[in-house]
Amino acid sequence: MRNVSDKRDTPARCGVIACKSVVPFESKKRSLEEVLYELTQSVLADGGLRIDDIDGIVVAANDQLDGRAISIMAASGSVGGVNRDILSTPSSGEHAFVLGTLRVASGHFRTQLVLAWSPMEVASTSEALRLAADPYFHRALPMDEWSAHALQASRIEAAVPDSAIAALHVVAKNRRCGRLAFPNQAIGSSDPDSIAASVPFRWPLTREMIALPISGAVAVVLASDDFIAERQIANPAWVRGMGWAAESAYLGDRDLVSLPGLASAVEQAYRKAGIKDPRKSIVLAEVADTTPYQELLAWEHLGLSGRKTWKHDAIAGTFAEKGKIPINLSGGALSVNPIFCAGLHRIAEAVTQVRGQAGDRQVPGANLVVAHAASGPAMQYNTVVVLGRSSGESE
Amino acid sequence: MSERVGIIGIGQSVFKSRRDDASYPDLVREAVAIALADCKLSFDDIEAIVYSLSPDAMVGIGNAERLGVDAVGARGKRFLRINTGGSTGISSVAAAFYHIAAGACDVVLTAGADKVGECGDSQSVLNKIWDPTYERPLPLGTITMLAMSAVRYMYKYPMDEEDMARVVVKNRAHAARNPYAHLRKPTSIDEVMSSRYIAWPIKLFDCCPQSSGGCAMVLASERYIKQHGLDAVWITGVGHSSESYYMGERMGDKVKADHADAFALAHSFKRAFVMAGIKDPAMEVHVAELYAPFSNTEFHAIEAAGLAKLGESPEKVRDGEFSLGGRIPVNPSGGVLCTNAIAVTAMVRVAEAALQVWGRAGEHQVPGAKIAIASGNGGDHQFFGTMVVEA
Amino acid sequence: MELLTRTERWNITYQHALGEVASWFFTQIRDHGKIYGRRCADSKRVLVPPRAFSDETLEPTKEWVEVGPGGKIEAFTIVYESFQNLPDPPYAFGYVTLDGADTAIGGFFKGIDLSDPKRAANELKIGTRIETRFAEQRKGDVLDFWFELSRN
Repeated sequence: MRNVSDKRDTPARCGVIACKSVVPFESKKRSLEEVLYELTQSVLADGGLRIDDIDGIVVAANDQLDGRAISIMAASGSVGGVNRDILSTPSSGEHAFVLGTLRVASGHFRTQLVLAWSPMEVASTSEALRLAADPYFHRALPMDEWSAHALQASRIEAAVPDSAIAALHVVAKNRRCGRLAFPNQAIGSSDPDSIAASVPFRWPLTREMIALPISGAVAVVLASDDFIAERQIANPAWVRGMGWAAESAYLGDRDLVSLPGLASAVEQAYRKAGIKDPRKSIVLAEVADTTPYQELLAWEHLGLSGRKTWKHDAIAGTFAEKGKIPINLSGGALSVNPIFCAGLHRIAEAVTQVRGQAGDRQVPGANLVVAHAASGPAMQYNTVVVLGRSSGESE
Repeated sequence: MSERVGIIGIGQSVFKSRRDDASYPDLVREAVAIALADCKLSFDDIEAIVYSLSPDAMVGIGNAERLGVDAVGARGKRFLRINTGGSTGISSVAAAFYHIAAGACDVVLTAGADKVGECGDSQSVLNKIWDPTYERPLPLGTITMLAMSAVRYMYKYPMDEEDMARVVVKNRAHAARNPYAHLRKPTSIDEVMSSRYIAWPIKLFDCCPQSSGGCAMVLASERYIKQHGLDAVWITGVGHSSESYYMGERMGDKVKADHADAFALAHSFKRAFVMAGIKDPAMEVHVAELYAPFSNTEFHAIEAAGLAKLGESPEKVRDGEFSLGGRIPVNPSGGVLCTNAIAVTAMVRVAEAALQVWGRAGEHQVPGAKIAIASGNGGDHQFFGTMVVEA
Repeated sequence: MELLTRTERWNITYQHALGEVASWFFTQIRDHGKIYGRRCADSKRVLVPPRAFSDETLEPTKEWVEVGPGGKIEAFTIVYESFQNLPDPPYAFGYVTLDGADTAIGGFFKGIDLSDPKRAANELKIGTRIETRFAEQRKGDVLDFWFELSRN
């Protein structure tokens, strides 16, 4: 462990040096702790690291999904928490990434292991998540996260009539990508007409417009520029900019279409990364897409396609596999949806592209990419991370 | 970053059993308003918020921090929530510290509240912290877990129930001078000894109360503090460490980290002391706010903080060394034994430590205190956060 | 001013996967009335209850080792207070290092008169030898066994 009283004068630059996702995870033979143990061993191996290289850990999970009152307890041993500094951000998996990055930038830690997980042991995820509705006014309503996302979709359709057709094409695009990215998983339909005609789920969402939850666990290791230089790590995914913001809890208080929280997160991230013309600078993106409407809002806020061009870009394939700026080559949460860790999964997929490890779906020259994660009802929390192959030091 | 991180504002509720007049977000807002008024800032000045909340089940709302977004003025702002069980409050202050030390923000608010009194049965919620594989069917709860710690401490060192009672007497006398504390009535060894057993050897009076209320703190960078000519105290040391989750690993003759002691707390304090440049805490620390929800746990907390050698704190408590007026007052606020609103209890430890070195602790002020320490415990006596706060 | 309240009850069911290690452990208890620990690959410590890895060292565990039925008490408490959803008091439980194990496992202590706390605490003091007893009908659960004081 570094001597923490050696202070630097400027914040450390931070890069992702290891990354592993298990979506879904095999759960019959292993307990959750065993899954996390294996994931930790695997992400350390990915980075050529030992547990002793890890200065601190940040984990994230949801108590109600896990069936535990303090989700960090399951993790602590399995992820190397014994005798180590370990914190937990249950607000979202991507917040664990945020805090991990801040801890490395502070100069008090050279590395951080970050993990989020989402098991499927609860009888009803919907019921578990419905308990987030406030008991004062909304608990008696069927207000789980699907309902909230559907309400947001209905607002978007009302504000932007073209969004409905655009949404169908977004689903189709992500499903085609998902089939390539997850060949062993059952992936939903990629035909816009079938998607539109499938059984209603929560209006205006049809069953094929979403992917039902599956289990997942995602881990990354963050490191400071010192550590990266010392270990001569060849392909870190540098954090060039990061922004995060929240919105109010009561849907009735929020503007579900203009999403000021996402605007704020993008502004913070782009400002730090020096991005002034996103359509020119960004090579690809991984964005929140629990529903296709979430992805459309991301297109707009990331400065890639405003609502007037949603329909055109969706049909023309501007953001498709061979498009100008591929979005959600991983298939997104529309293909595999590990709910609580879906956000960190977007970041992990973006990291994989930057590190040149995306195999069949690798985009050559993925030197500046954006990851966007949204959690909570109707995207209450938004986090944006800009990742790059260079640390940006010379710029 | 070579710049320091300071505390510029503090707010805490007057803690009570129940607050039927306020919803959970209302309690958070109450503490936040006090903290902002304390440093004369408004929501516009806050750049990020760290929300302090331990088990959701205790407030009865999943991801209850979402309801707190408005209470802490986080609309459109950076916001995340921390949960490390009972140590959540101190971990939240630490997370806020890292926001500033990272150079990402100049002014960060951390806040939370709890309504433990409203939860039907906190022990059965807390039973859910144990793993469903092996330990959930057992009637484990925080009281029984720490009763077992007392049993092992008594086995290893000279300590008896009267020693435990002395800790209660000390802390209640302190709380009598703290207008924010929940249980403020002084007590006697006899009264503690004749209270009923909950889980041997812990009796009713050896236990913390179930409190409701909130706490908030505003932290700022040294640069901001100097630029605005603000009054502040400084966080000079931060540390966290944890033990094995399995209590059975902390028992047996050959064990390294015994359940009687708090080795991870000692480890956490070492990290904070190294950062703060403290080499001999027993000689350098002026006052300590140590997380101890049951009287017996104050002993291993004192020893883990290096204020006494292992097994020697009961005698020093008897001698008055850790009372107000003594050499190093421990829990001059009354501590967790007198007030426990779980989600913020460990934050209150930092707040009280800060008030001490700031000279603002009123009737429970330790005269001339300049260096204070604070600690928080979470999980099954598993996660430990510590801090050093200086004038 | 009239202050209102609302009652809410959380009722969520979980199916927690126990994994191969815990499953084997519980089937041995259920079918054979025997308790086993797992030995760590490097340190050779026998972990009871068994796990696939040691969280102290992160080494995997490699073999099964039968432990008990004798053991010694490492920690105990006697509960006199009633808690919702927990058993009716009084009852005693705690941790036991079974013979052959390096870590302690939790369980109830039965067959002790708990009416006088001091006397009971003395009977249960740390280091006391116990024997593990098994229920006639077993489900494959930690409640299939408990500990009683050794009589010798």
